[in-house]
Amino acid sequence: MPRWLRIALLVLGWLALGGAYLRWLAPLSTPLVWDLEGVHYQLLEPRALGFALLVPFFILVLYKSLADLPWQQRLLSTLFRSAFVGLLALSVARLVQSVETSRICTIFLVDVSDSVSDVALADASQTIARARGLLRSEDELRLITFARRPELRELGAQGELPPLRDRSRPVPAGAAPGAAEANRYSETDLQAALQLAYGVFPEGYLRRVALLSDGIETRGDLLAEAQRAAQFGVQLYSLPFEQALPAEVAVQNLSVPSGVKVGEPFFVTAEIYATEPSSARARLFQGDVLNGLDSVRPLTLVPGRNEVKFRSVVRTGGPVSYRLELDGVEHDQFAENNRFLTSLDVPGRPTVLYVEGQPARATYLASALGAQQFDVDVRSPTALPRSLGELERFDFFVLSDVPAEQVDPSIQDLTERYVRDLGGGFLFAGGDAGYGLGGWSHTTIERLLPVSMDSEQQKDMPGVAMALVIDRSGSMTGLPIEMAKAACRATVETLRGDDLVEVIAFDSQPKRFVKMQPARYLNRIKGEVATIQPGGGTAIFPALDAAYQDISVVQARKKHVILLTDGRADSDGIRDLVGAMIAEGITVTTVGLGDGSDADFLRMIADAGGGRYHHVPDPNSLPRIFTRETEMLTRQSAVQEWFPVRQTSSADFLRGLSVAGAPLLHGYVATQLKPAPAQQILASDQGEPILARWRVGLGWAVAWTSDLKNNWAVDWLRWPEFGRFWGQLVREHMRTKHRRELDMTAELVGQRVHASVDAFAADGVFDNDMQSVLVVTGPLPGNERREVPMPQTAPGRYQADFELDGYGSFLLRADHYHLDGEGRRVLAGVSFGQVSQPYPGEYARLEPDRALLRRAALATGGSFEPELPALFEPAGQVVRYQKPLWQRFILLALGCFLLDLLMRRVRLFDRSFQRRGRRASPGV
Amino acid sequence: MHLAGYPLSAVLGAFGAAAACAVVLYILRLRRRPVAVVFSPIWRSVLGERESSRLFSQLKRWLSLLLQLALIALLALALGDPRLAARSAEARHLVVLLDTSASMQATDVPKGRIAAARDKVAQLVAGLGPSDRMLLAQMDASVTPLSTMTDDVAELGLALERVRPSDTRADLGRALSFALDSLNGRTRPEIILVSDGAFAEETRRHAPALGNVALSFVPVGSSGHNVAISEFSVRRYPLDRSRYEVMLEVVNGNDTPAELELSLFGDGQITETTRLSLAAGERRAQFYANLAGADRTLEASITTAPGLNDLGRDDRAYALMPERRRSRILVVTAGNTYLEAALLLDEYLEVSRAAPGEALPPGRFDVTILDGVTLPPEPRLGSLLYLDLPAQGGPLALGKAINDFGFDRWDEKSPILRWTAPENVQVESGHALVPGRGDRVLGASELGPILVSGRREGQAFVALGFDPRKSDLVLRVTWPLFLLNTINYFVEEDTTYVSSFRTGDVWQIPAPGNAEMAWLTSPDGSRSRVALENGKARHLGLYAGFYELAVENDSRPPLRFAANLSDLDESRIAPVGKLELGREVAGEVHGFEVRARHQLWGYLLIAVLIASAFEWVSYHRRVTV
Repeated sequence: MPRWLRIALLVLGWLALGGAYLRWLAPLSTPLVWDLEGVHYQLLEPRALGFALLVPFFILVLYKSLADLPWQQRLLSTLFRSAFVGLLALSVARLVQSVETSRICTIFLVDVSDSVSDVALADASQTIARARGLLRSEDELRLITFARRPELRELGAQGELPPLRDRSRPVPAGAAPGAAEANRYSETDLQAALQLAYGVFPEGYLRRVALLSDGIETRGDLLAEAQRAAQFGVQLYSLPFEQALPAEVAVQNLSVPSGVKVGEPFFVTAEIYATEPSSARARLFQGDVLNGLDSVRPLTLVPGRNEVKFRSVVRTGGPVSYRLELDGVEHDQFAENNRFLTSLDVPGRPTVLYVEGQPARATYLASALGAQQFDVDVRSPTALPRSLGELERFDFFVLSDVPAEQVDPSIQDLTERYVRDLGGGFLFAGGDAGYGLGGWSHTTIERLLPVSMDSEQQKDMPGVAMALVIDRSGSMTGLPIEMAKAACRATVETLRGDDLVEVIAFDSQPKRFVKMQPARYLNRIKGEVATIQPGGGTAIFPALDAAYQDISVVQARKKHVILLTDGRADSDGIRDLVGAMIAEGITVTTVGLGDGSDADFLRMIADAGGGRYHHVPDPNSLPRIFTRETEMLTRQSAVQEWFPVRQTSSADFLRGLSVAGAPLLHGYVATQLKPAPAQQILASDQGEPILARWRVGLGWAVAWTSDLKNNWAVDWLRWPEFGRFWGQLVREHMRTKHRRELDMTAELVGQRVHASVDAFAADGVFDNDMQSVLVVTGPLPGNERREVPMPQTAPGRYQADFELDGYGSFLLRADHYHLDGEGRRVLAGVSFGQVSQPYPGEYARLEPDRALLRRAALATGGSFEPELPALFEPAGQVVRYQKPLWQRFILLALGCFLLDLLMRRVRLFDRSFQRRGRRASPGV
Repeated sequence: MHLAGYPLSAVLGAFGAAAACAVVLYILRLRRRPVAVVFSPIWRSVLGERESSRLFSQLKRWLSLLLQLALIALLALALGDPRLAARSAEARHLVVLLDTSASMQATDVPKGRIAAARDKVAQLVAGLGPSDRMLLAQMDASVTPLSTMTDDVAELGLALERVRPSDTRADLGRALSFALDSLNGRTRPEIILVSDGAFAEETRRHAPALGNVALSFVPVGSSGHNVAISEFSVRRYPLDRSRYEVMLEVVNGNDTPAELELSLFGDGQITETTRLSLAAGERRAQFYANLAGADRTLEASITTAPGLNDLGRDDRAYALMPERRRSRILVVTAGNTYLEAALLLDEYLEVSRAAPGEALPPGRFDVTILDGVTLPPEPRLGSLLYLDLPAQGGPLALGKAINDFGFDRWDEKSPILRWTAPENVQVESGHALVPGRGDRVLGASELGPILVSGRREGQAFVALGFDPRKSDLVLRVTWPLFLLNTINYFVEEDTTYVSSFRTGDVWQIPAPGNAEMAWLTSPDGSRSRVALENGKARHLGLYAGFYELAVENDSRPPLRFAANLSDLDESRIAPVGKLELGREVAGEVHGFEVRARHQLWGYLLIAVLIASAFEWVSYHRRVTV
């Protein structure tokens, strides 16, 4: 082959190798791996193989070589030089081989938290020192100490151990701010220690962890981490501290019963754990002051759990904290666990809405309930709540002696929902406008009550004499006077035939258009009414006086005057006149037509006259008003006589009360008890219901057929047990929970709180799509407050998860809202919970958790309480690691280099000329 | 300078031996091949004299020898792996926290965020200073160091290959604490966070104080397009446990509206398909009520238009329903319509009936309801529910007869009274019960206990002190709830069942039996051994999907359960360019220029290669000998 052709082929081959390198190796950024005869190899820097491209260059140089070497040596020299280059290229390319080894690196994790005694730590030091003596030459030993945080500790040059727990050492960065130094040894995080250890194991060693601990874990989760440790090839060997329980007394719990109410005594229970017989003094604080009923107690503690009860009472609602402190403890190590703080949210004083038809006479019941620790809101019927939200603020609702016409049907519906859905308590009390007297028959309220208003007393209904005093002044011209006449006709139609009726129309002077006569003369009366014509001024007194004169002389069980006017008139003498009328049992109802009427004046007449005042803006309403007034009058079912109250069945609220000793009542409205489950508790001597109750949905409806004021119950007001009777009645039947309360479970795991609420609708389906917010108040005292979102995580389930910021007691309250049609939030329920973490868990648990240490060790394939040599026994285990080969290649390259030198310095081939030379030399 | 490879003695030995060989070889003189020419003896003598007199020739030989010795020295030195001594004041100690949380599986950048993060860490490794030490750790719900604190780029490179993303949120607090622990006592400590920065606000706010430790942030990711299933769970109805309700919450993390198709699979079969339009940023919960048909598994998936969803890990969710098994109930009654009607509500009850005095049906029962009667207790009757407990033959003595009463106190925490409203109940007549030692009073009127649970000779019972028909209990929802709760209580069907766990939490998986260990099979088929404590396995769950837990030495079939990401914050994958942790703002990384490594042996070898090439040329051109 010609020389030029050989050179050309060589160049072409070089270019091909270069191209292949650029195509396949140069782009590689990851190691090249392969297996050869079961051995795993990796080329960590494959691009460095490019140095091997120098080999053709070396060959090329040969073609211009001036060296005087036999061709064999040239060839060998080139081969050795090529091998030299190739080996160096492999070195730079970092060829590594996966090999097995049984070297062991053991990391000692030593618990130095406060729960570990100094004696135990001294034992730990000895254990580690003995372990060092068992190390093989290739093994490694490292040390990590841990409490709240782990710390890698350097051993001395000769393996000397540093002090394991050194309280003078500076606190590392990242410790909890503020109280870092104080809390440094007050927590134990086994998981963090294990995680730090992963980053300390050198490559190519069997990984062993020797855990010297008491197993008291206050943070993290060792068991969960143990499983991960196993995945990383770490074997855990647990060496629990063999230490005697220290002499210790710890308050482990302070509990209060659920449902504490203002003013009701209860017991606060403390759980105190003692490791040996001891004595101490316990002091219970409510807030910052000693508990009033029972505060200081000398204790003689037996080993184990001791329970101590303190009697207490909460006087005002709201958050209340209790703190138990032990002092003078005979045998004790940690002061931190000698106090315990817990808290509760006590509902404030129950609130009662008292709507009284005669507000001026509401003071009796209001005062009595106030004395029984109730907040009473007294209102007139005009101030009745108009929304469920407003009504919901009250725990009990008393509607007393209010005519039905003053309570809008929508408010009656609200009342029913308040009782049925919100669990409110409702008391309906009688009086002149109560029950049938107030026109409550066939209303929502009647449906709500446990009594019906069709009374057996109907047969004794007295006759009625009614005087209609109608304003016919000029201002009544037109529709008003026509509707007034229609109202008169309707009134007469409503009356029974024997009832008496008179119509007086007045302007400046009264005129009797219909003289007092039985209502049976219906047509005649209608004709006389039709003759009424408007005109003139307005003088009420003469007209009212005329009516009084006429009605006072007739015989009737009920005498009533209805005064209609649309204007203002002189009021002189009217109060006295009405007073005289009421003294004779004549009641007066007033009707003010239009905005021109003197409402205050007419209301005064009605109030003084024992009747009702109606403001009627629209004349068209006059017939309805007159008709209802007449119906109320004619459906008279009041029983007005003195009678004793008789208890017919038991009730919790009557405990301690002797109803038999109660004074007589002077009247009631006759009703009938509905079928069971309506329950009659008090009855009249005639057996008719005085007090009856039943449950309606979540609440109670209570019927009191007498009144609550100085009329029928006038003597009861003087009864010493009057206040207690009503207080206990309201307390038993009021809403026990302010709102729909959904159960909350709150669990403290380490420092994290898991709070969960399950919400179900009444029909058992899940209550979804609520917006819930958890308000965390604490640590108490201090009342820091923060909000945590509580999202829905499953049908009907709402959960929150958060970390506590400190130690103490924390109140949890979750508010759950639904969105209404307009996107506004409507409170749908509340949940309450409480968690306490009064001090670090390190001081709460006193006995080592050997089970935890054992399980963790088993989970990693390690062992519990092993003999020390076992820590350094490979037991057939091997670990693969990447063994670098570059140094071997350098040594080989060095050999090739010397061989190349040999080829170039010593003639090994073609030595025949030397013999010839020797033969010829003598001739030179 | 120090040697990390062969010790100095070995290096000197290697050099000495090789150098001696070279010197010997240079002492030997290469004989040249004789070439015969005319008058050669004359010229030989002339030229020989001239040659021998040339100093240059001698010098060339010495230079050649020195060159060879230099090459040998370089090789020997390389064997020693010489390194520049780290000056303590200059040594940086770095902990690189590589975020491997679910959001890092987004594909908004070429090859995905994880690959991009790897590349960025690789650049950091390449730019390590001669004195720098680095520890690489991955950060998800836990923190996992992948290397030691090392200057070995090879080890760091291998560590980088071990990075594996998980389906969890990132626990930044724990990771930073770990980094601080690792840097404790080190010079020039620095934490480098390689992440998309998609951390929950609370996580950022509660990050530990870093003190003198510098924090740098290497952002990863370019956009935040994602549509996700952020919650998925199923619960059976407490009253009708054959039916269930599914909650599925989806979120549109885009700043534009998104159309998506939502599919629900029951036992592998598609059961629902819904099309949804979500506004930008909208989060919507869907409830599928009164479902039936699936007995075991539920899966949900969403699909949307391309370009709106860069993260696939939260497009699928899994749930398992509590297994229902038919409970065998025996009712011994003279006839009670209310009781029989209530039991019809649960189709998983296999109800047998017997009249008082009749022979009982054969077989074993889970629960026997005795309506106003008693039977001699025998194991095959299972647990016993007494309604209107008779005076003789029951587990409890009867107290006085009582009338017109109700539940004035009850145990709100008892599973038997869960979701009931006993305060509503009015009873006409009955008897107070006299609980025995260890019995639990579940409900009482002011006149005495009326509902008691307990155990007699291992047989659980619940006794009611009145005939429900003599009350309005049977007319209320409380009645079937009470019956079904009691049956569930007896057969241990937990109505608080969780249909799926959340990845990133330590799961407490209920495990039957009293074994200490169990085997957990992950969604990828890998198995691991987990410890049990108090009947629960504890496991830090990192991946979504279906799992199996098989208790050791227990013949029962493995327990299956599901896990989902279910993390709204993690599904909000918009990367941040600037990271604020509490009051600290992470800086940018600096001081990572690609530079000569402190491992010099490689450079020494390269120098040898270059020098040997020159030596080769010079030799063959007779410049050296």
